[in-house]
Amino acid sequence: MKAITRREWISSAAATALTGCRKREPVKPSPVLIARAAYSQDLYDVVQRMLAELRLDVRGARVVLKPNLVEFDERTTINTHPVVVHAVLEALLALGAKEVRIAEGPGHRRNTWELAEAAGYFETVPQFEARFTDLNVDEVVPVTLDRPRSKLRRLYLPRTVLDCDWLVSLPKMKTHHWVGATLSMKNLFGVVPGAIYGWPKNLLHWAGIAECIADLHRLFTGGQKRPRLFALVDGVVGMEGDGPIHGVPKPVGALVAGYDLVAVDAACCRIMRIEPRKIPYLLLEARPGALEPEAIQEIGEPIRAFETPFELIPQFRSLRL
Amino acid sequence: MIEAIVSLQNRDGGWPYRRGGPSWAEPTAYALLALGDEAAAQQAVQRGREFLASLRRKDGGLAPHPAVEESTWVTALYILTNPAQPDQGALDWLLRRTGRESTLLHRVRMKLLGVRDEYEAAPPAWPWYPDTAAWLVPTAVTVLALRRVQRQRPDPRVEERIRQGQRFLLVRRCADGGWNHGASRALGFQSFSYPETTGLALVALAGTQPPQIERSLEMAERHLARCRSAEGIAWLEMGLRAHGRTPARVPEAPARTVMDLALRVLAQRAAERANPLLS
Repeated sequence: MKAITRREWISSAAATALTGCRKREPVKPSPVLIARAAYSQDLYDVVQRMLAELRLDVRGARVVLKPNLVEFDERTTINTHPVVVHAVLEALLALGAKEVRIAEGPGHRRNTWELAEAAGYFETVPQFEARFTDLNVDEVVPVTLDRPRSKLRRLYLPRTVLDCDWLVSLPKMKTHHWVGATLSMKNLFGVVPGAIYGWPKNLLHWAGIAECIADLHRLFTGGQKRPRLFALVDGVVGMEGDGPIHGVPKPVGALVAGYDLVAVDAACCRIMRIEPRKIPYLLLEARPGALEPEAIQEIGEPIRAFETPFELIPQFRSLRL
Repeated sequence: MIEAIVSLQNRDGGWPYRRGGPSWAEPTAYALLALGDEAAAQQAVQRGREFLASLRRKDGGLAPHPAVEESTWVTALYILTNPAQPDQGALDWLLRRTGRESTLLHRVRMKLLGVRDEYEAAPPAWPWYPDTAAWLVPTAVTVLALRRVQRQRPDPRVEERIRQGQRFLLVRRCADGGWNHGASRALGFQSFSYPETTGLALVALAGTQPPQIERSLEMAERHLARCRSAEGIAWLEMGLRAHGRTPARVPEAPARTVMDLALRVLAQRAAERANPLLS
């Protein structure tokens, strides 16, 4: 295990300084849709309206939903709620998707099926077993990273993810004890196969957590033929404090969605009252000006309607917005 | 169950983690351990051994999958499946391997940076992937592999690494007495243990009487009472039996993976006092 807070601090400070020095150019705002929701039957309608409003065109597409499944502890809310996953699945099928799979490669628990069962996925999602792919043990393909920020040059990644048309990141809105906040971009860690890199996927820690998040994000946004990204964050009940596992539940009552994962995560940070301009992986991937408040085109309900200060561990109190 | 395992073998001779998936070293090794010397399965066993051997790399280690060009922790499984005639190159590869956190270069660097390692007292152990830190599963499995080799032909180098591995497991034990993936605490916070890793660590500690083992066995019994995975149940049963405890009740759980099936067979063998992991 490795404590890298000092390096993260240095990289964050350097990135902040660089951002400050860049010539500010007008940035085209990215639409981010925020909707009020609870874990109830109504959530299905809310999600359907959100995807329709964002004009997500998945007709004939193969879609992979990537929830955040980490560990199960009945005392807190670690994982993406299964109702959110099921609602997105139903909405995508209603929009004409050819195939919708749920896929995840948990980073700590090796028995993904037991974890999914404990987290309520079997109970909530009909035919869950047939729809689910354990990304930790899927067929793998070597992928060369384009202009990597981390020390990695190549990664083996699951074919299920590389071959789909849309990869939908469905994270939980949580604080994170190494990178401040874990949202739709950090959720991409789950596509890295444990059967090669282990449980945890410790290679990503040694290569730089923030840099690896940026590399994975860039892999899907770098212009090569890869699945397109979409994100919908489960912020109905998030996690504050010592996330992503040992924190405590934080009700927010929001779902946050969009095509631009940087904008979605920046909007979530603002909801959590975390300064997105101090999150290293956002700084690495954001275009100049893209983390400013005006770079988020708020549709649906405004960020201010959901602002809920998430408790931060002492190491991250400086992130407070 | 033997028939079920054989039926899941892929055409390349390896086994997938789950029906229809690609062949990987780990489920193949556990399938081979479960099939053992079953007369009806010897053809499948031979093909499985050939698949594992095909993953052997020039550096002596084993790749986890045919597409992967890197030797990893699965080298221990290769040794574990053939302890009587261990591949010397693979054994040497394993004995050279340590977690990156225990290298001199890393320790000096951390000292200079003023970063305190939460597990400074932990002896060298085994990582999942080269140049990363040591964790519980690769360490416990390597201890099992080295112990099988040691019983066949004692070697002080092997003995020393077994002891280091077992000490590592004890340093990484959670406050509740069990084990998780290998981080018993993070930022000072006590982490909780998992069923499968608690059982595995207990198997790797078989034959030792470490301090507070009773607490670990009690935790294993608590895990077993509410465990819902076939894999977790099998490891817990083996772990308890490895320390002379007979589980009062072994719960049922669906076998969803090759690992579930293979470990269930190994747990049955453990109940018959013939666990190949400890032979």
